[in-house]
Amino acid sequence: MSVLDGVRARPQATAGMLGRGRTRPQATAGVALTLPVAVFFVVFWLVPFLAAIYLSFTDYEMAGTPNWIGLANYERMFADPGFLNSAWITVVYTVCTVVPTIVLALLVAVPLSKPGRLNRRLRALVMIPAVMPLAATSMVWVIIYSDRGMANTLLGLVGIEPQSWLTSSDLAIWALVVMVVWKSMGLFVIILTAGLQALPGEVYEAAAIDGSGAVTTFTRITLPLLRRTLLFVLVISVAGSMQAFVPAFLLTGGGPADATQVLPYYIWANAFPYEHMGYAAAMGMVLLAAMVIVSALQFGFLKGGDE
Amino acid sequence: MADLTRRGLLAAGAAGALTLLAGCGKDQPRQQAVDGRPHGEVTVWLHGSQDTGQQFQELVHRYIAEFRVDVKLLYLPVGQLDAKLLTAFSGGAPPDVFKIGHWSFPAHAKKKRLAPVDTKALSLQNYEPGTTTPLTYQDVPYGVPIDFNPCMLYYRKDRFEEAGLDPDKPPVTWEEVAEYSVKLTSRDRSRVGLQWLYGDPQWALMMLTALVQGKGGELVAAGGAKASLATDQGRAALTYMSGIGNPKLSNPLGALGLFYSGEAAMVVSGAFLGPALEKLGKDTLTFGKQYGVAPMPTWAGGPPVVPAYTWGWGVAKDSPNQFTAWHLVNYLQGAPSVAANLDNGIIIPTKGWRDAGPRGKSEIMKIVADSLPHVDFGPIIPGTLELAKAAAGAVDSVAYGKSTPAQAAATFDSTVRMVL
Amino acid sequence: MRAGTILRAVWLIVAVGFMLLPVYAMLVVASAPDDTDLRGLVFNGFHLPENIRLLFGEANLPTYLRNSLILCVGTGVLDVMFSAAAGYAMAQLSFPGRRVLFALVIGTLALTPMVLVIPVFLIVKELGWVNTFQGMMVPGMISAFGVFLVRQFALGIPKELLLAARVDGAGEFRIFARIAVPLLKPALITLFLVHFLAQWDNLLWPLIVANEQELWPLPVGLANFQSEVGFNYHLTTTAALVTAVPPFILMVALQRYYVAGLTFGGLKR
Repeated sequence: MSVLDGVRARPQATAGMLGRGRTRPQATAGVALTLPVAVFFVVFWLVPFLAAIYLSFTDYEMAGTPNWIGLANYERMFADPGFLNSAWITVVYTVCTVVPTIVLALLVAVPLSKPGRLNRRLRALVMIPAVMPLAATSMVWVIIYSDRGMANTLLGLVGIEPQSWLTSSDLAIWALVVMVVWKSMGLFVIILTAGLQALPGEVYEAAAIDGSGAVTTFTRITLPLLRRTLLFVLVISVAGSMQAFVPAFLLTGGGPADATQVLPYYIWANAFPYEHMGYAAAMGMVLLAAMVIVSALQFGFLKGGDE
Repeated sequence: MADLTRRGLLAAGAAGALTLLAGCGKDQPRQQAVDGRPHGEVTVWLHGSQDTGQQFQELVHRYIAEFRVDVKLLYLPVGQLDAKLLTAFSGGAPPDVFKIGHWSFPAHAKKKRLAPVDTKALSLQNYEPGTTTPLTYQDVPYGVPIDFNPCMLYYRKDRFEEAGLDPDKPPVTWEEVAEYSVKLTSRDRSRVGLQWLYGDPQWALMMLTALVQGKGGELVAAGGAKASLATDQGRAALTYMSGIGNPKLSNPLGALGLFYSGEAAMVVSGAFLGPALEKLGKDTLTFGKQYGVAPMPTWAGGPPVVPAYTWGWGVAKDSPNQFTAWHLVNYLQGAPSVAANLDNGIIIPTKGWRDAGPRGKSEIMKIVADSLPHVDFGPIIPGTLELAKAAAGAVDSVAYGKSTPAQAAATFDSTVRMVL
Repeated sequence: MRAGTILRAVWLIVAVGFMLLPVYAMLVVASAPDDTDLRGLVFNGFHLPENIRLLFGEANLPTYLRNSLILCVGTGVLDVMFSAAAGYAMAQLSFPGRRVLFALVIGTLALTPMVLVIPVFLIVKELGWVNTFQGMMVPGMISAFGVFLVRQFALGIPKELLLAARVDGAGEFRIFARIAVPLLKPALITLFLVHFLAQWDNLLWPLIVANEQELWPLPVGLANFQSEVGFNYHLTTTAALVTAVPPFILMVALQRYYVAGLTFGGLKR
């Protein structure tokens, strides 16, 4: 701390300028506070990442020495029906989990953000799916989706014929989507509720005086004000969906007939057990590029809505 | 220009990182046992089983006491075994002994991860002829079998009776299976005759093996360098499979559950299914009453082909203690194990296994014994896993009506060409 | 107005009810005596207490629970500490390498962990951490999500507040500890919860690193339990219910804080 004592009581602007408006104590503190994180990310992310980039240009099969094969892995991808199929399923899966999750979470969060004992209780209940371990919940969903399970029983009440949820190549992806929406909704409801509670009450009072209806208030006032929170939720859920591998792994094993084989699952299968590590790494890099582009778009939005 | 430099830097950095990383795993001199005496420490990775777990642990403890060897057991979830083992192998930190499926042996052997069976510690002569073949790669034996399962036909006698079929005359040929299945299938196909195991690569490969080889065809040719379904026999097999069963039937317990509920009147399965059914609901399903077993069907006039799989014990080439590892395996495959496993319907096919316990005399075990000369473990090649995946893809895409047998066969051929 | 309130309440109860249906199915299966009825619709007796007793008797559930708690609380606390420091510094301090570091952190958000499994395993092995708690904990200790989250919230700390402290002669570390941390507290609690939940569900990495059951956390134990008992839905579901209890308690206990936590960086500036 003695280094810092040297600049005591001096106005910040003149204290030990280091160019670009940087002060020595700030620089010291900044480096010291970020150093552990920097070391961590270099050792456990950057180095493995560089290794993975290198592997993506090799024929590494988890044994022996990797041989440099240039762009062969990347070329292979675009002739590989498995990859193209998985890439498309990932797009469908991402869109169809992110949009309903956020819309439903919003529809629940808006009334839930009002104060009251009932709402407080419900807020706790909404979190239950989020705290359930996925490995075990997927087993329960297998039961729910079975021929005479809950899904078909409920549909039967409204006169819909029983469906083969997990064993129909058309329905399995939707069965997966429903489980994922259910699992991830709770957290988003809570985040959105928090965002809603932060909205200034005066705006609503003004709207009420204006005689705006509930829908108008929601679209004209609530949504624009909530934009930052919404975008935050969007970024997390898109990133999560594009990398999601565990739900498909546990619920459907990628089937039936590869109908739920999302790209992360395909990458996983190519690495374990097929041992095509080089190819898996290359696909990982393509997924990375796609995510960087999508994130950049979202950050563009985020900035736009910020200041 | 700038691009080139950047790429150079990246490559140098990555290469440096890799060298640093790959440096490990090659150290540690591998000392071998000098004499034929077990010693030291052995780690064992396996997947657990409730029925035989207790007995297995007792056996290991006895081994520890008798030979003063430190045995470390690690039970692993079967679904994550591959990932764990492959990571350990490529990190140069494999266990000494592990239990893996026979379909994994060729790839590991080709990648020089396996130690050959040490015949000073374990005699392969003790095993039923043919049961160690799937664990042998290029004439070198790399493992011994445990949980050996040749296929057989399970059928529901009560369903047969309902459909006006003789409950004591199960189908013998594939033609009869098809014929009976028509009679056993309800109009909405919610109840079927024979039900296949959809979406399971290993089982798809086994069924195609039975149907293609049984018609005199060849699924895999040229010593594993070529595989094809685009043959008369291949297309016929796919057509046959798509005409029977209903891929949309589902049950949390899979085909076992469908057979238990009676929705499936027949399933092809292994010896383990009998005890599993007994355990699930003793009162509902009794062998000989509600259900029975029959040998694997053949094509009319065709040769018997009985697909089979087995798990096997393997030892890592990098294990510093290979003699002890094989010595332990030999002990774990001994008479007490054979008896205890047999009691639970799990077969260790050492000679005389049927005399190890009362269950050895059962009808199921008689079928197993009779099918031994016709057992077919499928292709013993490094690409088995992907071949099996492609087989399941073909079977499923025809079953779901996504493609015709000819299309599916062509897709299969082009997929496996990339693999083999 | 009155009708609106009632309508809202009805909608909420229906929506939350739907969300809880699978939980009901879980209770049904977990209370079953065996696996013969797997529809999850109606209770077939109430054997939940017996099933729980069976679990605690036979499986190493208490060990797994303890390990999970060590893992989740340990890495959670570390993540909060390091992310708080780095996130605050990136938002409010000017120092060399700030932009590069931020790009590095954000970049990792887009990286698929499965292609990194082997390289990270090699590093862990090189460090001699295979089959240790640090081997299981350290690679997932700090999350890019955490650093990013804290940075976003720290951006909302009024500059004047920090300036005033500096004028008063407070050192940078003191400002961080005494001013920033209290202001960031709700966000940090949120981070702790999210981290806790993610680790509580983490199956693959602990499985790969740990070579003894003594070290296993719950997800690995449960996965193994499932393959050990074979076709056994009712006991595995019971285990799932039991393991959901600690995070649920944590969630409810901290609800007050994290709800407030996310309001901070939102709009009030």
